[in-house]
Amino acid sequence: MITAMNKEIIPDNWYNVVPDLPEPLAPPRDSKSDISSINLLNKILPKEVLKQEFTFKRYEKIPDEVMEAYEQIGRPTPLIRAKNLEKKLGYSGKIYYKYEGATATGSHKINTAIPQAYYAMKEGVKGVTTETGAGQWGSATALAASLYGLPSQIFMVKISFEQKPLRKTVMNLYNGNVVASPSTLTAYGRKILKEHPDTPGTLGIGISEAVEYALDNDYRYMVASVMNVSLTHQSVIGQETKKQLELIGEHADVLIGCVGGGSNFGGFTFPFIPDGDDTEIIATTANEVPKFSKGDYKYDLMDSAGILPQVRMYSLGADFVPPTIYAGGLRYHGASPSLSLLINKGRIKSDEVTEEEVKEALRTFANTQGIIAAPESGHAIASAIKYVKAHINEKKTIVVNVSGHGYLDLSIFGEKK
Amino acid sequence: MKNLIPYFTLGYPDNETLSHFLDLIPVDKINYIEFGFPSNDPRYDGPVIRKTHNVGNINFSDDFYKKYFDYFHKNHVKMYSLSYYSDIKARFDDFIDYLQKRNFSGIIIPDLIIDYYSEGKEIINKLNDRGFEYIPFFSPSTPDSIIKNVSSMTKSWIYYGLQPSTGIDIPYELDYTTERINELLPGREITYGFGIKTDDDIRNLMKNGGSGVAIGTYLIKMTEAGDENGFIDYINKMRGVLDE
Repeated sequence: MITAMNKEIIPDNWYNVVPDLPEPLAPPRDSKSDISSINLLNKILPKEVLKQEFTFKRYEKIPDEVMEAYEQIGRPTPLIRAKNLEKKLGYSGKIYYKYEGATATGSHKINTAIPQAYYAMKEGVKGVTTETGAGQWGSATALAASLYGLPSQIFMVKISFEQKPLRKTVMNLYNGNVVASPSTLTAYGRKILKEHPDTPGTLGIGISEAVEYALDNDYRYMVASVMNVSLTHQSVIGQETKKQLELIGEHADVLIGCVGGGSNFGGFTFPFIPDGDDTEIIATTANEVPKFSKGDYKYDLMDSAGILPQVRMYSLGADFVPPTIYAGGLRYHGASPSLSLLINKGRIKSDEVTEEEVKEALRTFANTQGIIAAPESGHAIASAIKYVKAHINEKKTIVVNVSGHGYLDLSIFGEKK
Repeated sequence: MKNLIPYFTLGYPDNETLSHFLDLIPVDKINYIEFGFPSNDPRYDGPVIRKTHNVGNINFSDDFYKKYFDYFHKNHVKMYSLSYYSDIKARFDDFIDYLQKRNFSGIIIPDLIIDYYSEGKEIINKLNDRGFEYIPFFSPSTPDSIIKNVSSMTKSWIYYGLQPSTGIDIPYELDYTTERINELLPGREITYGFGIKTDDDIRNLMKNGGSGVAIGTYLIKMTEAGDENGFIDYINKMRGVLDE
């Protein structure tokens, strides 16, 4: 185990994959003909965040204040060899997991929430707002905003709001204001409630409400995923992992992570892209949200209301209402443009796992490694177990990103008799 | 001499108004001129220029503009076509024949290496064989390797769009932008476009080694407003800044 105590492991810079992509990243397109939704981003995002969204700089210096905050919330996170899991699977190769559940908010989300809130504070905005699915992003936003003295308004997808009341408590403890989305706080939320009063909500609706709220209240919107800037900030995960592997003389043959919008996955794997093709990279999605196998690679809306620009990505359609699955963070209809391009070009492979595979993987991981992983992260673990079984005689080094813990998601297991 | 390149979409705001403004251009103050051939899907343009394509599609007539193409050619102003590959793909050879017949020097194809990357090499080679300049168009999201590879296939000037689309205003680091492109393409003629408005924009770009600027949205707004004096003053002023 590489301990979390060595601050030298935290990188000095964030890594941006755009200049290292095999083909140009298609630029965003305006969603409406008469106005520029790209220009509108000037009113939605903090200026520095917007600049980083469109930058081609390979490395962006992490401000000292953000570095300090990273240390305070538990970075670097540990990279642990899952010896018990290897033994259980009878694998003669090695399995490591990067454990983002060790951060203060229990997931990787805090890695980008901190810099976004920091830049918002520096610009003197009134507050920040965002959407959240399972609640991990909302928790990270609420804490980051609180750290910099900003109020936060969080729109939580209704089904998760109802299924995970403790998440609301966590966000409230971090001084966040939380409402179920669709809500009556925005015109778009009221429209959806009128048309579909029983909707479970979607991340797309939540994003639309948060963006509208930001525009109407001079707040700034916090980008959870999909947009490149959040993947860039999350690159601390992959850069730490590389350094930790180097320290123990290991080379990653296979990287596996789960994909909702792509932030933990991109952050974990993209720093390995410039090193060449000898690391196999696998993006795992929920069987119920098969964006890579059944989605189209096309320009599509990031939000249901069409306020934000369109981006080219794998998408099941912005109006896709996914099943009310156990892993709220994976219900998003699309995936980040850079990840989508790398999937489309075959550099990154995709996998899908079922709910039963995920639950079984979570149980196995819990009773071998003692970590109760988030249901979203359970997809990566399930995919890794599948991979091991399919390559049981190959002595590969597999590294899995466990993007968060699942202590607030235990209801998915029901009661064991 | 640094290049000043005005851009107009043919047929916008209407043929008569545009022709009037073309007549006003002091030809000794510009080096090249860029004509947008109206597109059915100008997807990498901002709202101002997007609208010009929709209108231009209705109005454009070669008969009307032929005399202007002759006029700029005779006055040694090199003409470049801005055309989306999605519009000309099906009649590519015929379209290039037409441009050459009208004495255009080359073509800018904003969607070629973004949406048709796999066809890019063949198209560029075809244009090279015909002695027709392909102007590589890059944006902030163009990867380093693509900038190097595509540029190496051409000898012409480079068009670098500073913004993700025309006429918008996303913050960026000018020094880093120019430093990056200069490092990737040392000694190459780089013309900047997209979102350039002020004297200081131009001054800073030239100070950092730029070879020229393309101005579109700002001039189009003047033609819309019928601002003849502002139009002439602006071109003269920009020429002056480039000559400093």
